[in-house]
Amino acid sequence: MKAAEKSLQQSYRLRQLLIHLMPLAALAILLAALCWAVTSKGYRLDIYLNIVFNEAVVLAVVATGAVFIYTLGSFDISLGASTLFSATLGVMTYNATQSLPLMLLVILVTAIGCSLLSSLLASVFHIPVFVTTVAMMSVLSAIAAQIITKNGGALGGISIPSDLLRPLDTPWFKVVILAAFVALSIFIFSFTKVGRRQKFLGGNPVCAQLTGIDLNRYTIIAFVMAGLGVGLGAFLTLIYTPSVTTGTASSIGMNIIVAIVFGGMPISGGPNSKIYSALVGGFSYILLNNTLKILIDGNTGYGVSQIVSAIFFLAVVYVTSINYRTKLLPR
Amino acid sequence: MGAPILSMKGIHKRFSSTIALDGVDLDAYPGEIRGLIGENGSGKSTISSIAAGMQKADEGTMTFQGEPWAPASMIDALAHGVGMIVQESGTISGVTVAENIFLAETSQFRRMGLIDRKAMNAQADKALSDIGIQNVRGATPMAALDFQTRKLVEIAKVAMKEPKLLVVDETTTALSHDGRTILYQLMKRYRDEGRAVLFISHDLEEIMEVCDTLTVLRDGKLIRSFKKEEFDADQIRTSMIGRELQGDYYRSDFTPSAQNEAALEASGLCLGEELKDVSITLHKGEIVGIGGLSHCGMHTLGKVLFGAAKPERGSVTVNGRTITSEAAAMDEGLGYVAKDRDVESLTLSASIQDNIAIAGMERYAVSKGIILGSRERRYVDKEIDELSIKCSGRDQQVSQLSGGNKQKVVFGKWIGRGSEILILDCPTRGVDIGVKQAMYQLMMKLKGEGKSILMISEELPELIGMSDRLLIMKDGRVEKEFLRSAELTDADVIGYMI
Repeated sequence: MKAAEKSLQQSYRLRQLLIHLMPLAALAILLAALCWAVTSKGYRLDIYLNIVFNEAVVLAVVATGAVFIYTLGSFDISLGASTLFSATLGVMTYNATQSLPLMLLVILVTAIGCSLLSSLLASVFHIPVFVTTVAMMSVLSAIAAQIITKNGGALGGISIPSDLLRPLDTPWFKVVILAAFVALSIFIFSFTKVGRRQKFLGGNPVCAQLTGIDLNRYTIIAFVMAGLGVGLGAFLTLIYTPSVTTGTASSIGMNIIVAIVFGGMPISGGPNSKIYSALVGGFSYILLNNTLKILIDGNTGYGVSQIVSAIFFLAVVYVTSINYRTKLLPR
Repeated sequence: MGAPILSMKGIHKRFSSTIALDGVDLDAYPGEIRGLIGENGSGKSTISSIAAGMQKADEGTMTFQGEPWAPASMIDALAHGVGMIVQESGTISGVTVAENIFLAETSQFRRMGLIDRKAMNAQADKALSDIGIQNVRGATPMAALDFQTRKLVEIAKVAMKEPKLLVVDETTTALSHDGRTILYQLMKRYRDEGRAVLFISHDLEEIMEVCDTLTVLRDGKLIRSFKKEEFDADQIRTSMIGRELQGDYYRSDFTPSAQNEAALEASGLCLGEELKDVSITLHKGEIVGIGGLSHCGMHTLGKVLFGAAKPERGSVTVNGRTITSEAAAMDEGLGYVAKDRDVESLTLSASIQDNIAIAGMERYAVSKGIILGSRERRYVDKEIDELSIKCSGRDQQVSQLSGGNKQKVVFGKWIGRGSEILILDCPTRGVDIGVKQAMYQLMMKLKGEGKSILMISEELPELIGMSDRLLIMKDGRVEKEFLRSAELTDADVIGYMI
């Protein structure tokens, strides 16, 4: 029995290792698929890799911050609107003051402020935090749209001088920003009391409370981290495209949900949450999206690629849940 | 004896790296209450849950009433004659009692496209009355009921189907005397009607009293079956654990002992009908037992003492500080083992490490709240070793552990952080005799170290066996206090509970 159990344990651990590596394997396969799709259509690979990189960096940064919220078993639908709003105020600030540091400060403060407001409203009114984020999404989108249409028009949008941030529009700068934020998040998540308590809270809020962990406090911290990610994402968006329209970052809120699940994090959050899921999932999702756009030409392409993404999403959630169910022992 | 109503041959089952059943044969005969007994993790729940369609065996064959038996689900099994009452909660909170009883069957009450709730509630009332539950109605929201009453609703739900084989999985630990009486009467009726009952319990006295035959499992294997006339407590215990119990079970001394210094003082606690002017002083090095019927307020008292429920009047003081929250309680060295282990004491999806380490971060964190993996691992390994937690490693998910080992993880969580005062609400609920003894010995060790323990329990023998002082609660008040004595018996105490 002992030898049999040891052998089973080894095979179980091997299976768990393979499950952990699956998101990375999927990322590699999606990268290969994109390269194949681009070259088979005769397009320039360097251009597509650049597009994927720039889109993925923004998604990965915002998703990294969002992991703190998802870990609690909650989600924030307003992250896209918050990115748009922060970038809008940043552009308005620069155009009024010609000060780049002030623009950056306004972007970060706005993003963190919006996040904090969502969590504080939830704490004050004792309602689920995602409810307040739904309201915030509407409010922030509406205000941003008002500012943009009033100052530049819905289609053209508002912009900063195109050469202002061009020196920063390099892969190295973006990688450094992304790496620094991911490193900070991993540190908080895995090597501090705050991160440990957040994961535990997400796993079982009742038990966490009976272990002295204050839900409101850690919800606020999670939203501050998400706000920081949104602020950095808004800044990176402006580096890539110096103009802001009403459609800027509009799909980020939903894309984050898919990206985090693609990265191997359980949708219910809790102790198995991982920061790297945002990184791996963010790049995987953008790779998938762009590959599908290339393969499915024409006006129907967008809709079909969304459907394929949705099927991928359901498949990943299903596989994750199978793994969860097999871990259950009756007692 | 005739042919078995259920026959299971060569059943094998694995969960990840754990072998839960290793070729077990089990028969249940008509007109028989068969006990299933064994330590936590012995495979009792696994084999019964396979019989009841909760999960499938990896290998082996089953027949039920002479036909091949392979239920697709618990609903399928119940529809064909095998019903199971599970150990933990098997009901849904957000709906009524009637909706729980007729879950997935509400269509039978459909009238012109709408559910006839009046008819459904009436049927539910009848199902409850049929097994002797008079104080719960079908229209009652499930969330308004306590753990015991929910369990009774679950019994009614299964009994309504009149199964040929009833599986009762450690249900009595959730029930008070009245609830147990209802269940025992149901089981006896089934036996008298020529049906079969598989009854799982850790309570040896109970199982010897109720059952006609007994099957002992250990480490996923069938060890031995006993007929009623062969029942012998020592032999059964030895079969269960594979050795004789060493040392005392309860405390061997009969003199109350404690230091003079008070560790915790509660005065004038009031909270609705649950607590009415309750005052308690717990001294250092003292074990205070709190007993009573399930609704007497003792479980609420545990929560109030730990700061998890706010009293309307009165206060709890430790080291001169009033306890107003769980965090404040922990700052002052309190630990709380909740009754509902899976919901209130553990995060099942987390590892053993996560569950033990979460409460003791102050003990192993370096400055500014930074955690180093090596220090954390040492902290957790020490608790795993000292409490002899049976696991494949500290990374194993808690949901994979047996009930007794889960409870050890809960103890490790609070003992590891050096809790000076432990509030234990039904600490031995659902754990086997070996783990129980280990916990009693641990309590004695902690008492010897000057720690204070307040043990809330529905089991009088352990309260009498372990407490320096025993407080009996009734209707939210402390009705009577007993000092430890060799002469103190259940009979002396019960009168003050009822």
